[in-house]
Amino acid sequence: MAADDRTDVLVIGAGASGAAVTWRLAGAGVRVVCLEQGDWVDPRAYPHWRADWELHRHTDWSAEPNVRRLPQDYPVNDTGSSISPLMYNAVGGSTIHWSAHFPRFRPSDFRVRSLDGVADDWPIDYATLEPFFDLNDRMMGVAGITGDPAYPPKSARQTPPIPLDTLGATMARGFDRLGWHWWPSDSAILTRDYDGRRACINCGPCDLGCPTGAKASTDVTYWPKALALGARLVTRARVREITLGPDGLAGGALYFDREGRLHEQKAHTVVIAANGVGTPRLLLNSRSARFPDGLANRSGLVGRNLMFHPYAMVRGLFDERLHGLRGPLGCSIISQEFYETDLSRGFVRGYSFQVARGLSPIASATGGSVGDRVPWGREHRRHYDTRFDRTLTVAVIGEDLPEPENRVDIDPTLTDGHGIPAPRVSYTLSENSRRMLDHGIARAREALEAAGAREVAVNPLLRAGGWHLMGTARMGRDPATSVIDPEGRCHDVPNLYIVDGSTMVTCAAVNPTSTIQAVALYVADGIVRRRS
Amino acid sequence: MLEARRNLLAVVLDTLVPASAGFPGAGAIALDHVLAAAAASPEVDALLSDGLSAVDDAARAAGGVGLAPLGQDDRERVLRRIEQSHPAFFDSLVRCAYDGYYSHPTIVARLGLDPGPLHPRGHRLAPEEPPDLARVIARGPIYRRA
Ligand SMILES: Cc1cc2nc3c(=O)[nH]c(=O)nc-3n(C[C@H](O)[C@H](O)[C@H](O)COP(=O)(O)OP(=O)(O)OC[C@H]3O[C@@H](n4cnc5c(N)ncnc54)[C@H](O)[C@@H]3O)c2cc1C
Repeated sequence: MAADDRTDVLVIGAGASGAAVTWRLAGAGVRVVCLEQGDWVDPRAYPHWRADWELHRHTDWSAEPNVRRLPQDYPVNDTGSSISPLMYNAVGGSTIHWSAHFPRFRPSDFRVRSLDGVADDWPIDYATLEPFFDLNDRMMGVAGITGDPAYPPKSARQTPPIPLDTLGATMARGFDRLGWHWWPSDSAILTRDYDGRRACINCGPCDLGCPTGAKASTDVTYWPKALALGARLVTRARVREITLGPDGLAGGALYFDREGRLHEQKAHTVVIAANGVGTPRLLLNSRSARFPDGLANRSGLVGRNLMFHPYAMVRGLFDERLHGLRGPLGCSIISQEFYETDLSRGFVRGYSFQVARGLSPIASATGGSVGDRVPWGREHRRHYDTRFDRTLTVAVIGEDLPEPENRVDIDPTLTDGHGIPAPRVSYTLSENSRRMLDHGIARAREALEAAGAREVAVNPLLRAGGWHLMGTARMGRDPATSVIDPEGRCHDVPNLYIVDGSTMVTCAAVNPTSTIQAVALYVADGIVRRRS
Repeated sequence: MLEARRNLLAVVLDTLVPASAGFPGAGAIALDHVLAAAAASPEVDALLSDGLSAVDDAARAAGGVGLAPLGQDDRERVLRRIEQSHPAFFDSLVRCAYDGYYSHPTIVARLGLDPGPLHPRGHRLAPEEPPDLARVIARGPIYRRA
């Protein structure tokens, strides 16, 4: 086995959080090595360059590793979960596929126990994270408008908002008629050239990658800057386990290189950024006499409290064409009318509405996220033509509460291409989440009808909707009820940090990445401070 | 044999998505895609072969010499029986037929879209006025202070 030189900090995973941490540390003069199991994605490899681009959404460019099955992917046994985890393994991590919808958590999201008597408070708050939100916004580049009354005042957005276009304006009218909140989405997608990157050309399917570089995947935001600052990134380097020294400190990691050779990378400090499934997998696979149940797992909480955001999809059918194929697919406007707790609704916490764009040609036939296929046979043409470019989908994104039974553990038989045991995901939608989604579906129907929809179709729970992987190595003050401390350090192993989605104590009712990255930058700041 | 399978598949596809309103049927448009999917996977190939045999048997049992000579309504009746009896085959065939049909440049153009790659052309949007958010702002803050 080859042993590499000891580095100051080893970061595992080059996705949303790993990139941010590496950049911050390299900028402070820290010697950083990042190990990433995937490769760089060549922007010319994205399906957008091909006429048959849409076919790739369900094959080699699927967001589901179990469908994609690339050599750098690992399988996930999700048969015990009502939601399939989605991710991408590459430089940029899941931000290669993401829709770049970029809302922040709200102040109340960090005080769930105090305000609503459920789950737990975070040990840090919005005010602590605010400078890191702002820094991250500048690094990623955010399109939007300030002044949203759903948030405390925010710093200026880097570019104007993404276009509402016919589709967004149609839905905004619906919300206006009901007197409900709506706002153009904060999106990490440039609408003007910014920081050496080009503006969005409104081609549509951001979920298949962005050949323009307007969408802020971290391979085009943080990574070029981190490398320029001297960080070292090793690709196709899959970490098998984190090593533990006789002093009880993390010593580094064992990893397979692209030829399948085993290496050891030694480090004074180890930072895990492998996402809400990859991180517990790695910890649970790193067993030793001192940690027979997995590294840093004295609490037994590694892998537990898995939160997705459960999504219900509500699709309206309109008479007129909505031009829904132009503009960033995942975002146009958001409504947070039902965000904060109101117990008279029959559930605690709340949800947002996210208005996505329309259905592309194949998705119009198969039903997209609602899954109601257009009938075949004589009636096919009429049904298809009624639907094509006349639909608008409101996604109800609900706040999941942390529950120990929802978890990631190690599958007894499944392994990846290197023989490393693969994760198993168990997840059941809670009664609270079900009631929340049902409320959201009814309200979304109301809003769509107010916007002029003449028919509404519903998917009560999107299975292929595990975009957000959170909570599986939660932050907290008490070592008995959390895995990492308020500085991001494992309670049990003080030179081992975690910065990805698994740190989240609760998951709010908005997409998490802006907050994941803000937390990662905050943790990195602490590492730098403690070194000096 | 291969020719017969190909012809039968084309008729099945034309029954699933018949020519209509200026759109060609799926027999001409999606055939190559479905055959390529079968060629790429022995499992899909076996599913397709078994399913098509079942279609042929059912069509003959319905009194004809096969599916092709039947009219659209009779073909649909045969396929609806197969949809019940061979759900896995039928489901994946419809999925694959829709994939092949609605990714084909002829159909994409017929839908009023540019059938070429999305990049680097993108979509040109008319400049927008900033949205009118006065009503939303007038309500004041809707977040809880914490
Ligand atoms: C299709 C899709 C759409 C999304 N849309 C949005 C959105 O609009 N807004 C939003 O906020 N979020 C969105 N997300 C979620 C967002 O991408 C994630 O929240 C974010 O990327 C998580 O960051 P992370 O650092 O926790 O993990 P990731 O970005 O997933 O990075 C983890 C990295 O670790 C690497 N890794 C894992 N294990 C190992 C190992 N053993 N050895 C070496 N490397 C390893 C992986 O290869 C990966 O590159 C979306 C996700 C998907 C899949």
